Amino acid sequence: MLKVKAGDLDRMGMLFERYNRQLYGFLFHMTYQRELSEDMVQQVFYKMLKYRHTFTGTGEYIHWMYSIARNVLKDHWRKNKQQVQHEGVEAAETIAGGLVPDEAFEKKQAKAELHRAMGKLSESQREILALSRFQELKCQEIAQILGMTEGTVKVRIHRAMQELKSIYVKMER
Amino acid sequence: MKCELYEELFTGWINKELSPEEKGVLEQHISGCDHCRTELEALQQLWGHMGQFETPEPSANMSVKFYAMLDTYKESVKEQRSLWADIKYQLSNFWQWQPRWPMAYNLAMVAILVVAGYLFFGKSKSDDQDRQLQALSSQVHELKQTMMLALLENPSASERIRGVSYTSEIKHADKQVIDALLATLNNDPNVNVRLSTLDALTHLAGHPEVREGLIKSIVEQDSPLMQLAIADVMLKLQEKRSVGSFKELLKQKDLDHGVRDKIKQTITQLI
Ligand SMILES: [Zn+2]
Repeated sequence: MLKVKAGDLDRMGMLFERYNRQLYGFLFHMTYQRELSEDMVQQVFYKMLKYRHTFTGTGEYIHWMYSIARNVLKDHWRKNKQQVQHEGVEAAETIAGGLVPDEAFEKKQAKAELHRAMGKLSESQREILALSRFQELKCQEIAQILGMTEGTVKVRIHRAMQELKSIYVKMER
Repeated sequence: MKCELYEELFTGWINKELSPEEKGVLEQHISGCDHCRTELEALQQLWGHMGQFETPEPSANMSVKFYAMLDTYKESVKEQRSLWADIKYQLSNFWQWQPRWPMAYNLAMVAILVVAGYLFFGKSKSDDQDRQLQALSSQVHELKQTMMLALLENPSASERIRGVSYTSEIKHADKQVIDALLATLNNDPNVNVRLSTLDALTHLAGHPEVREGLIKSIVEQDSPLMQLAIADVMLKLQEKRSVGSFKELLKQKDLDHGVRDKIKQTITQLI
C-alpha cells in the first residue's frame, strides 16, 4: 500500500484483485443487497485512491480498508434512515428464500429463519458477526478494525451470538 | 468463578482461537456447570449453521467499473494543472472547437437566455412564454448532443468517457447519437471507453437498432473484459438473437478460457 501512496497507481489494481471479493462479502452481509454492495466496493476503492496520502503505513492495509467501508455503510444508513430497518430484514428474506433450489425444504426453511434473525440484529451486532463469522477474521484483527480491546471484541461477539439465538428461538415458536 | 467470566472463552471456543490452557479452563467449568454446557453447545450449533450462508460473487461489472475509475483517475492526476493553466487550457479548447462546432459556442448563450427568461418572466405563465422556453430548451438539448459528439473525438480517453456519459442526459437519442456510440463501441482504442459506451448503450436498449448493433458487436470485441461485459448485457436483456454471434465467438481459437466458459454458460441461459 505504501507503494500506492508513492504514486504507483497501477498497484491499486493488484490490491483490488486481492481484496475485492472479501470486501464485497462484508458489505453484502451488512446490506443483503448485491448491487448496493458493488457500488459500495467502488466507493471504498475510490476513497482509498483519493485519500491514499492519509494512509500512514502503520497497521495493516485491510484494517484501513474496513474502516473506510464502515464509514461508507454509516453514510448509507444515515441517508436512508427510515427504510433501513425494514430494508435489511426484507432483503434477508428475499435472499434466504432464493437460495439453492434443490435443498431440502426444511433445511432451506431453517436457513431462511436464521437469515431473518440476522437481519433483526442491531447494525453493530451484525457487523461484529460479519467480521468474525463471514470474514473469518481473528478477534485481534477485529479489535484493530473496531478500535477496541481484544477482550471487548470477544465479549461482544458472545453477546451478539446470544441475542441471535434468542431472536431465532422466538421465531421458531 | 462466576459464569459471566467465561464469556470471552466462549467466543474463543466457537471460533477455535483458544490456547490449550484456556481450553482446559473452560472444559473444567462446563463439566461442572450444566447451564454453560448447554449454552455453549447451542451457540456452537448456531455458529455452524451460519457457516452455511452463501456469499454471492460480485458480478464482472464490478471490476469493469473499478478499472474504468482507476484509469480516469490516473488521467486526472496527469492532467492536474494550476488554476490559471486550467483556465488557459479551457479557453484553448473552446477556440479549437469553434471552426468545427460553431453551435457549441452558443450553448452558453442559450443557457443564459433560458435563465434570464425564467428570471424575467418569473412565475407568470402565458402560452407564448412556455413555447419560447420550450424552443430554447430543445436548442439546449441539441447543443448538448453536439457537445457529446465532439467529445467522442477528443484525444483524451477520460474526455471521451465524459462524452459517453452525456448520453444519459439526452432524452431522445437519435440515429446520429446511436451511430456515434456504436462506432465508439467497436473502434475506440481504449477499453474503458468501450466499456462505458456499452453501459450507455445498454440504457438505450429500447431502440431496436441499438440491440442489433450490440449483437453485431459481439464478434468485433477482442478484449476479454469486453467479451464478459457484453455477455452480461445480453443476459440482462434476454437477447436470444445473440446466441448465433456467441457461437461464432466460440470458434476463435485464442479465446480466453474464462471467457469461453462464461459464453457457454450465457448461451445455455439464453436458450
Ligand atoms: Zn457456568
